[in-house]
Amino acid sequence: MGEERQVMIETIDLHKYFKDQHVLKGISVKIYKGEVVAIIGPSGAGKSTFLRCINRLEEPSSGKIYIEGVDITSPRVDMNKIRSRIGFVFQSYNLFPHLTAIENIKLAPVHVRKIPEKEAEQKGLELLKKVGLEDKAHAYPDQLSGGQQQRVAIARALAMQPHMIFFDEPTSALDPEMIREVLDVMQNLAAEGMTMIVVSHELGFIREAATRVLVLADGCVIEEGPPRQLFNNPQHPRTKEFLSKIL
Amino acid sequence: MKTKNKEDLKENRLEKATWKERYSHWPWYRRYEFLLFSFLALIALGFALPRPGLPGTLFHWLFIVFYLLLFLVWAGLILTDVEKPNWIKAIAATLILFLFGWLFYRYSGAQWDKLGYVFFNFKVLSETGSYGSTVTGWTELFRGLLITLQIAIFSAIFGTILGLLLAVFRSLNDPILNAFIIIWVDFFRAIPIIVLMMIIYYALPYLNIKLSSTMSGILALSLNSSAYISEIFRAGIESIHHNQVEAARSLGLTTMQTMRLVILPQAMRTVMPPLTSNYVAMLKDTAICSSIAIMELLKTAITLQAWKANPTPLVAATIIYLIILLPLARISTIMENRMKARGVTRTVRRQPKAA
Repeated sequence: MGEERQVMIETIDLHKYFKDQHVLKGISVKIYKGEVVAIIGPSGAGKSTFLRCINRLEEPSSGKIYIEGVDITSPRVDMNKIRSRIGFVFQSYNLFPHLTAIENIKLAPVHVRKIPEKEAEQKGLELLKKVGLEDKAHAYPDQLSGGQQQRVAIARALAMQPHMIFFDEPTSALDPEMIREVLDVMQNLAAEGMTMIVVSHELGFIREAATRVLVLADGCVIEEGPPRQLFNNPQHPRTKEFLSKIL
Repeated sequence: MKTKNKEDLKENRLEKATWKERYSHWPWYRRYEFLLFSFLALIALGFALPRPGLPGTLFHWLFIVFYLLLFLVWAGLILTDVEKPNWIKAIAATLILFLFGWLFYRYSGAQWDKLGYVFFNFKVLSETGSYGSTVTGWTELFRGLLITLQIAIFSAIFGTILGLLLAVFRSLNDPILNAFIIIWVDFFRAIPIIVLMMIIYYALPYLNIKLSSTMSGILALSLNSSAYISEIFRAGIESIHHNQVEAARSLGLTTMQTMRLVILPQAMRTVMPPLTSNYVAMLKDTAICSSIAIMELLKTAITLQAWKANPTPLVAATIIYLIILLPLARISTIMENRMKARGVTRTVRRQPKAA
């Protein structure tokens, strides 16, 4: 912790419009290596849009985004290369239904990183073991429960050895008894020092794992701080209102 | 059996009721005794029908129609009864079809022997074929079939490759490219294949593009099917949920890798049934090649017909077409049903609602 902190993500005055709807209204944040940043806020606040803008699944309307010092809003940047360093875990898992769990995991390493098939398979099996699904390697996504699918999705993201992982409401499509297994995997990742941005309302997880919480409302960051401080002593009236609803 | 409570009694009655008990509440016209008796009566009445050949008087006509109606009512009593087993219904339906055929055969006054001699005179095919030929008509038809299959297979290959490329380029959503593709697809869907084929074979030589007749036929069929096949593939590609693309792109796959590794393999599930039926239609469309003097199956049959002054070769060609096309049509229907039952679930079922 003492060493110089490397900036992984920096956004400067990020705006996003959907037609005439102003979704992000100038977001400027810095996220450092090893941080676990939780983003909370009422629905429609732009949390998912913000996350999707950072790896340009949505094109930002204006503003700058730097990933590890590279300006990714410049047209000359190779977005595929950048994206392969950013893991992304979706709310709806988005596994490839025509591939087995292990094939899902090794698809990108083999075709993007050009790692030999056998090596990728071995790495994939290790990752499946890490998320506790080594016996499900040859199961198709529709043979897995929601929680298992989401854990495979996390393993798939990890297979690219990403420098950071974004989680877009990873547990909100899951049944309550499956949420725990996914959060455990995420918590282990956080403990290993992975840089993570998590859009989630799992307050227990945020309290334990997050180093910082951003509160988004109406496209603006209205408050930020360490989870304990923010939850126990919110400053902004909208934060208070929001927390009173979900606590 | 007359103990216990009402629930038990209800269950028992269904299982242990005798045949007679089960049907005893049926009205007389649903009873098997009546249906069997009336069938025998109808058979007996059949002996009173007028003699074969065209009926002489109005009375004869009315009697035949009345007899047919009586039989229809009898079969209707069985076919409209939901409690009758299916095999009995099948027998009733078959009997009606048989009766129609028999009455037509008996009273139409048709010249069956002449019809057989003209249209089903397969002896003409066992002789040597058309002018200058040393093989039999059957052999010539078989050679024609090989050419038909050859044209169909090459057209299917070229048409599929072209259609797939068009669909993939279409999915890039480039407005200029899309305009060209839409014009291409609309043009080749709108123009009749026979016209296209004749333009390629008869008009292109003036532009110094000289293609053999077989090449022209294959080109015309390929262009035509490329339009239909590209629409089939486009529908398949569009049926894949957009979040599959996002997942692939977020892993660093390029647009083309996403298409090749993620979208197309999933789209194949939805694409295969309409694609198969498109191939079946195209195999049938090869008959149009006879218009530009390709000696495929139909043209061979027409030539033989002219040479033998007998239409039997056409009937033989029809039978050959049916032997090949019926199983193919069956396969495409089976595939379609299987996709309906299974294919859709893999791609659609697991999408949770957006929060």
